[in-house]
Amino acid sequence: MALFPLTSNFEGDFVLQLVPVDTEHTMDEVAAAAAVHSVGRRVRDRPGHILRVRRHGSTELLPRNLKVAEAGFKPTETVDIVWQAA
Amino acid sequence: MAVLNRMDWYDLARSTNWTPKYVTEDELFPPKLSGEFGLPLSAWENYDEPYKQTYPEYVKVQREKDAGAYSVKAALERSRIFENADPGWKSVMKAHYGAIARGEYAAASAEARMMRFSKAPGMRNMSTLGCMDEIRHGQMQLYFPHEHVSKDRQMDWAFKAYDTNEWAMIAARHFFDDIMMTRDAISVSIMLTFSFETGFTNMQFLGLAADAAEAGDHTFANLISSIQTDESRHAQIGGPALKVLIENGKKEEAQKRVDIAVWGAWKLFSVLTGPIMDYYTPLEHRKQSFKEFMEEWIVAQFERALTDMGLDLPWYWDIFLKDIGQTHHGMHLGSYFWRPTLWWNPAAGVTPDERAWLEEKYPGWNDTWGQCWDVFIDNVVDGNMAMTYPETLPYVCNMCQLPILGVPGKGWDVKDYPLEYNGRLYHFGSEVDRWVFEQEPERYAGHLSIVDRFLAGMIQPMDLGGALQYMGLAPGEIGDDAHNYAWAEVYRALRETRKAG
Repeated sequence: MALFPLTSNFEGDFVLQLVPVDTEHTMDEVAAAAAVHSVGRRVRDRPGHILRVRRHGSTELLPRNLKVAEAGFKPTETVDIVWQAA
Repeated sequence: MAVLNRMDWYDLARSTNWTPKYVTEDELFPPKLSGEFGLPLSAWENYDEPYKQTYPEYVKVQREKDAGAYSVKAALERSRIFENADPGWKSVMKAHYGAIARGEYAAASAEARMMRFSKAPGMRNMSTLGCMDEIRHGQMQLYFPHEHVSKDRQMDWAFKAYDTNEWAMIAARHFFDDIMMTRDAISVSIMLTFSFETGFTNMQFLGLAADAAEAGDHTFANLISSIQTDESRHAQIGGPALKVLIENGKKEEAQKRVDIAVWGAWKLFSVLTGPIMDYYTPLEHRKQSFKEFMEEWIVAQFERALTDMGLDLPWYWDIFLKDIGQTHHGMHLGSYFWRPTLWWNPAAGVTPDERAWLEEKYPGWNDTWGQCWDVFIDNVVDGNMAMTYPETLPYVCNMCQLPILGVPGKGWDVKDYPLEYNGRLYHFGSEVDRWVFEQEPERYAGHLSIVDRFLAGMIQPMDLGGALQYMGLAPGEIGDDAHNYAWAEVYRALRETRKAG
């Protein structure tokens, strides 16, 4: 359990944002933490969609239950948070 | 007694150079301060300034300029122009004075470096006058806003801004420290006078003078027009230096300095001038869009200045041409969304009429930046104000110190340009910002951005209150919407009409 800073690049938003997460958080929890700062503020919610995490610029989505500690992120690394039809 | 004409003695007088006997040339002109280009004194004696002025001429002309600007101010002091001005226009003044006034003072020391350490006699003369110009600009742009300090606390930032850790000031200082406070005399002439002043201050001052006259603020219009006449003279210091460098096989070194300075200047203008022109200035007073202004002043004129000089266009020119239609929209949305961290009150500038203008000037605006504003506007109309404010920091670029941003909405295209250097992960807002860092990593690597400072625990408590305190923003100074959200009424009415229909 340790605080870990990531940088969120949220689909539909215009700016990268600092998002503090926990090393025990899953990718679903990372996506939810990032959504707090974008959805309903500058990005509309998309009913029928879930949010997925991928490394910045990658097309491969990270497993939903993968933990931050297991993902091998560097502190402040940028992750893309993208919408996926549920 | 007959007095010689100026041109009968000017060249001889200003080229009467010392021939050092008791010290070496390097002791008289230390390379670190005079420029490490390896060119001897004799090469610099060919420096030929296009604008020649003597000290008595300078004093006479400057006295007249001061008399003009100060008398307009005195005549209009009781006019209540400030009290009656559109709040968006007041924000323009506050942003301008805070970002510029103390920077002008700092520029006096950069001019003084050229005055003492340049090997070119003509440059030493020009920058003696340039140094006095900058002192004048600093003094005027502190004196003129001072009459408004008692009416509006944010006006105090004309003086205060430069000493704070407010994020936009960190960005401005990082840029000016790089191009003028920590460079040798020749590099200052290229980066400050040629790249920044020829290219960009023209635009800020001419553009703003036109907007000020339109807004009825003749004091401000006269002030900045008066300053611009000095700028257009001392901005010519760099051109002849570039010529000397190119003639002596130093084009590559010269080009690199131009490329670095032009990019930094562009980023600063995208946050300072872009929002002012396309969002704060009332619609009826807008003459051109920011992009049109950039195309006329930078793309057309500066491009010619570069090629006439024998330089190439910066390698990133295609990136730059694309950016001038995009970046400032994000800078506006970002500075507006994080508005408590500003020392002025930004105008939103997104009524249906203003959006129609934006869509016309920037086709696709509604499908991109407009998408973010739609969510924001709904929150304001619903009274859901908590969601119109941020709860975290935007990630800022380790070069320009401004938010890393791109195109939102249907055209979503936001990229980070990371770089790991000596075990630290740096983030950049563009390929060019990263390239600048890579040219001389040790020059920049130790600097901490506002986000780095937050993560290092230098901002306490780690929330908005702590951040505002760190930035020096006291109650009564923190920014909020310039029009107190009155512009949202039209959207409220539209919604009511739709419901009734």
